[in-house]
Amino acid sequence: MAEVQERPDVKRPKPFDAEAEITKLWAKCQSAQDEIRRTFFQCRAAAIDMAGDGADEEAVTLKAWEMKGKDTAKSYFPRVRLDKPNLVENIAKLFVSSWRNQGAVVRLQKSENPDEVFIVWERCPWPTAHKQYGVSMALDVAGCDHALQTTLADVALFANRKLKIETVKAIPRGEGACVRRLWLEAE
Amino acid sequence: MARQIYDWDYSNYPGAKKYPHVFSPIQLGNLIIPNRIKYAATEDNLNSHDGFVTDEDVAYLRLRAQGVAGGICTMQGVYMDERRYGQGYVGQAAAWDDKFIPGLKRLADAIHAERAVANYQLMHCGRVGGVETPFCEGPSAIPQRLRLFKPVHEMSTEEIEISIQQHIDAARRGVEAGFDIMEISGIVGYLISNFLSSYTNRRTDEYGGDVYGRCKFMTDIIRGVRKEIGPDIPLIIRICAWEQLDDVGGNTQEESMIVYQEAEKAGVDSISVTVGWQESIVPVISRDIDFGSWLYQAERARQHVKVPVSMAYRLFHADMADQAIAEGKIDYWENCRPQIADPLMPLKYLEGREEDIRWCVACNVCLARLFRDAPMTCYINPTCAHENDPSYFPQKADTAKEIMVVGAGPAGLEAAWVAAERGHEVHVYDTRDKLGGTIIDAGLAPYNDDELYRIIEFHKAQCDQRGVEFHLGEEVTAEMIEDELPDAVILATGATMSTPTFFGGDGDNVITLKEALYESKPMGDNIVIWGNKKPAIGTALALAKRGKKVTLVGKERTVGKDINPSFRWRYNMFLRQNGVVSYNDCDIEQVGDGQAILITYDGHRVPVTCDTVVIGERGPNPALKDVCRENSIEFYQIGDCVVPRGLSGAVHDGYKIGLRV
Repeated sequence: MAEVQERPDVKRPKPFDAEAEITKLWAKCQSAQDEIRRTFFQCRAAAIDMAGDGADEEAVTLKAWEMKGKDTAKSYFPRVRLDKPNLVENIAKLFVSSWRNQGAVVRLQKSENPDEVFIVWERCPWPTAHKQYGVSMALDVAGCDHALQTTLADVALFANRKLKIETVKAIPRGEGACVRRLWLEAE
Repeated sequence: MARQIYDWDYSNYPGAKKYPHVFSPIQLGNLIIPNRIKYAATEDNLNSHDGFVTDEDVAYLRLRAQGVAGGICTMQGVYMDERRYGQGYVGQAAAWDDKFIPGLKRLADAIHAERAVANYQLMHCGRVGGVETPFCEGPSAIPQRLRLFKPVHEMSTEEIEISIQQHIDAARRGVEAGFDIMEISGIVGYLISNFLSSYTNRRTDEYGGDVYGRCKFMTDIIRGVRKEIGPDIPLIIRICAWEQLDDVGGNTQEESMIVYQEAEKAGVDSISVTVGWQESIVPVISRDIDFGSWLYQAERARQHVKVPVSMAYRLFHADMADQAIAEGKIDYWENCRPQIADPLMPLKYLEGREEDIRWCVACNVCLARLFRDAPMTCYINPTCAHENDPSYFPQKADTAKEIMVVGAGPAGLEAAWVAAERGHEVHVYDTRDKLGGTIIDAGLAPYNDDELYRIIEFHKAQCDQRGVEFHLGEEVTAEMIEDELPDAVILATGATMSTPTFFGGDGDNVITLKEALYESKPMGDNIVIWGNKKPAIGTALALAKRGKKVTLVGKERTVGKDINPSFRWRYNMFLRQNGVVSYNDCDIEQVGDGQAILITYDGHRVPVTCDTVVIGERGPNPALKDVCRENSIEFYQIGDCVVPRGLSGAVHDGYKIGLRV
């Protein structure tokens, strides 16, 4: 910074430290991501509690994921563009972006078929969170899959295209990565 | 045998000579309309929430009827189902039962009282409807692109047949209420357009399939309504020539022309050409769209059908309409927002009083209000939706006063002419040698913001007609006020630019918005503008267009918080298109050679390349207030000097104080 004239009513700020700023921001971002998961499990627990004795824990969990999936789809609709090429890839990018925002390390892997892509989660914070809150790994896979299926079903309805998604591999099943195949079925 | 309801002789009016095509008769069906002007249907949210017509709506419409000078005046569209799925606006009129006929008759009578032709509109709002129900309805349950709208219930065949009958029954009620023309609305995402569009109609039964199948709902309604109303009442339909939904698989423009032909075959007498849906991601009617941009769509429609066609979209001026009629692009001229801004606009054209027209600035605040369940408001017309309240209109003052107005911006000028209209002697002072105040600077922003200056032209004409005296290039001082001791002072001095609170804010590289816009001080290539409201945005765009790299830094949580939501998205798009980066919820902490350090609301710091800082934050202006108070002079502060806002705040303040002083 070049020298500037001192003004009695304006305090000289401390020197700018880029590394310190980035570290603080990064910590806040991760904290916000953790908070999203904590809120999910807190609300899930509240719903199960309110349902009373004999509550179907799995049904409540899947319903929660379904609602999340539906709301995610709504945020995708303004970004669905049928007048642009690579619809499948574009939708896959929306999924990638959503999960990155939640703290996952996720990437898109193209296939030889232009109507097919793979989404690869190399790391995902959700299985750890499930463990922390005492929820089974099986329910993690089922829930995540249900959210993706719900989102894609609504996007497919909106776009009027036969879009499909399936889980090929899952971290909670000990397979090292979550891999989902997203494709456009022939008309 | 064609009939004409009211005789109008325009031969002695200057406007009829200047715009001979606009003021020539046209035949729609068996009805002759004396001119080619139509006030298009406009929701105003002025009716009761259960659909009954109110005094406010009657007064609103009557003034517009006066404005069309014998032409067509359309009431707002009615919804037709008791379930209210078709209701798109909280104050929308209803026609699902005979009990609504007396109210509707009041509207028809109000239009007739002005010797205009009364047009009644049927408008089931489809996927834009259900404003007070959990669902709306449509041909298919296609999810909504905009969160504002309700989930769509897919109509059964039985529900479709009921809806068609409801249209027919509501049409009968319109005729019984005394309307002369019947209009069906099938635009922007309303029910008929939902059936027509390949985006929202995925049905495989007789009401879906190809474009002809998708037309069936519309043609069944047209035929049913035609049978009900008989051959003598003209039937108009409003439909899209281009849905602007190519990105989600909407109708092609060719399909839209097939729709037009099917409507004509089914028996309409005229088609109103529109463009775009609520869900379109491209703009259609905002100020950045040039006048007459959509005329080619009307011309295309005219090539595909034989019945007369009309158009409203961004066709604000009579010269454009007259030329378009002469060139065969349209048969008659529709307008909506221009008559929200000035209900008497066409009449003023006819009478040769063009300088008296208060021009619409295409800001869409009227739409923004309706979508937020608020009564209609006009940005530029303070009396809009107050037509039924005499206290909103100038009355002669009990005592004529000598009034000093300090500031010849929109606030000061509005107050000046209204006060002069009431019989006061008014003097307007400004340090500039030109009328307009901040609007002169605002007009330097791109995307047709120069249109804003038209309000100043209106003000000048009103002031001139009422003998307001201008003292331009003259600064009002405390001594001058003390010497002249006017009966009242109206302070419309505009905002002050905020003093920088950041370190380095007194440097040579820190300049004001005006200095940046007029380039009266040197600037580098990397500009940081302190502020993220409209003046800062307009300046950012102007500078970006001149090749500068601009960054906005503002304390508001979103950029353009002072711009209505129906237009803000346009500015967001312009900023993106021009590479302007915006740091919101943020302030400048320090500025030095080549860099500014920004600080977020929660204390994070971001370095930005910066050669010049432009001060875009504004504050109130207390100048001259004390001298008025100390001398016990009646005084008022209006416009940005109270709280910096925008043109609308200035005009509305000025009008109200003009009434009160």
